[in-house]
Amino acid sequence: MSEEMEKLYEERLERYVTAMRNGKPDRIPVRPFVAEFVAKYAGFTVQEATHDADKALEAVRICAKDFEWDAVVGNMIFVWTGMADAIGLKYYTMPGIDASPDDAFQYVEPQNEEEAYMKADEYDHLIADPTGFLATVWMPRVSKDLSKAGEPSSYRSNMAWLKGGLAMLTYYQKLGDQGGLLKTECGTVSAIAGALKAPCDILADKLRGYRQLSADMYRRPEKVVAACEALMPHMKYNALAGSDPDKNVPITVWLHRGCAPFMSYQAYEKFYWPTLKQIIEEIWAEGHQVLFYAEGNWDRNLKYTAELPDKSIIYHVDRGDIFQVHKHVGRKFCLSGGIPNDLLTYGTPDQVRERCKAVIDGVAKDGGYVMDAGAIIQQDAKVENVKALTEFTLEYGAY
Amino acid sequence: MSDVKKKPGVCVPWEEKVKEYEKIMGDEKVAKKVWEETDDLAYQYIWFILTLL
Repeated sequence: MSEEMEKLYEERLERYVTAMRNGKPDRIPVRPFVAEFVAKYAGFTVQEATHDADKALEAVRICAKDFEWDAVVGNMIFVWTGMADAIGLKYYTMPGIDASPDDAFQYVEPQNEEEAYMKADEYDHLIADPTGFLATVWMPRVSKDLSKAGEPSSYRSNMAWLKGGLAMLTYYQKLGDQGGLLKTECGTVSAIAGALKAPCDILADKLRGYRQLSADMYRRPEKVVAACEALMPHMKYNALAGSDPDKNVPITVWLHRGCAPFMSYQAYEKFYWPTLKQIIEEIWAEGHQVLFYAEGNWDRNLKYTAELPDKSIIYHVDRGDIFQVHKHVGRKFCLSGGIPNDLLTYGTPDQVRERCKAVIDGVAKDGGYVMDAGAIIQQDAKVENVKALTEFTLEYGAY
Repeated sequence: MSDVKKKPGVCVPWEEKVKEYEKIMGDEKVAKKVWEETDDLAYQYIWFILTLL
């Protein structure tokens, strides 16, 4: 690693960390969560970057170097469909296989009790033994290949377990290498380390399905609460297992459907918030920040988020009103995001610059802001608009 | 269902595994450490699929 590159990396790390601690660095850091966009920029199809992780990783490095971003996620196309295919997972459409090679992968959620990956009468099993339930009931149910408990094992079942495990190890190795390459080739910081989901989101997304969970909140509320509590220590453990040992970059919580109007305040207070809040507080007590990636509009839940300790989170604004968020919690937390993705897709570079200026003027005068789009940037974003976001911030975002 | 409560990071607890041996002739700590390390890999694999894949 050249001395110059090392210096650049250290400057960027300092800038990024200072902003995330709600401080005022020398300039607003640029940390776009770029997913399928990198494939488009690097000349790959979405299928290539989603199914061949090496191409995705290469594309991220090409972009990091060309755009001069301060921090970026090693691979924001977070589903490697090659691994999903090795396990025989049923719940994704895969670009180039059962979707267009230029479309992003898509999660297909169970729509009714029959399709649910966890049945209504299986709460007790999950609560008593979450890992055992996942391994013996859930995994065979979400895979086309894995044999169900009690069935004779098959060649395809054995291969699916083996290939999936080896694929995960390979992928982790590649991601580790990617962090090093981003640093040495691009001087760019790996933006996040460790992933968290709210226990209630896990129930909704992967186990019961949102519609079934909504019914469970009325039909068996005590089971839903107990399941969230049973999942909680595992969510925390897994988040910390992937976290940054230097405690510089945050663990990300990808928030899905807790916010109003998906959930009433009463439901949020009973089912969603208690376990999520406890995990974040415990993670913060261990010295890690959490990137509170509030997908959708979480403005109406701000009163709850404000209960978290100062600086414990970086509050990421997707479709919320970033100026209102800043007014309510800007003194407590660093903010990120607030540039609408539809503007990157349908707008002009001038409109992007105008929006960036408004956000910087409105929420970033005293630091505590990281430039990013509202949601992950996919293949629909125009290259010239992502360039405008970046170049404007590099210039206008200097303090 | 196993009768040993599984903590985070554990698929097959050492307390359950160790019962399969009549006697450990060498250092039990070595066997326990490596069992738990590989067990944690399997654990992370299962939970990775649930949370991230």
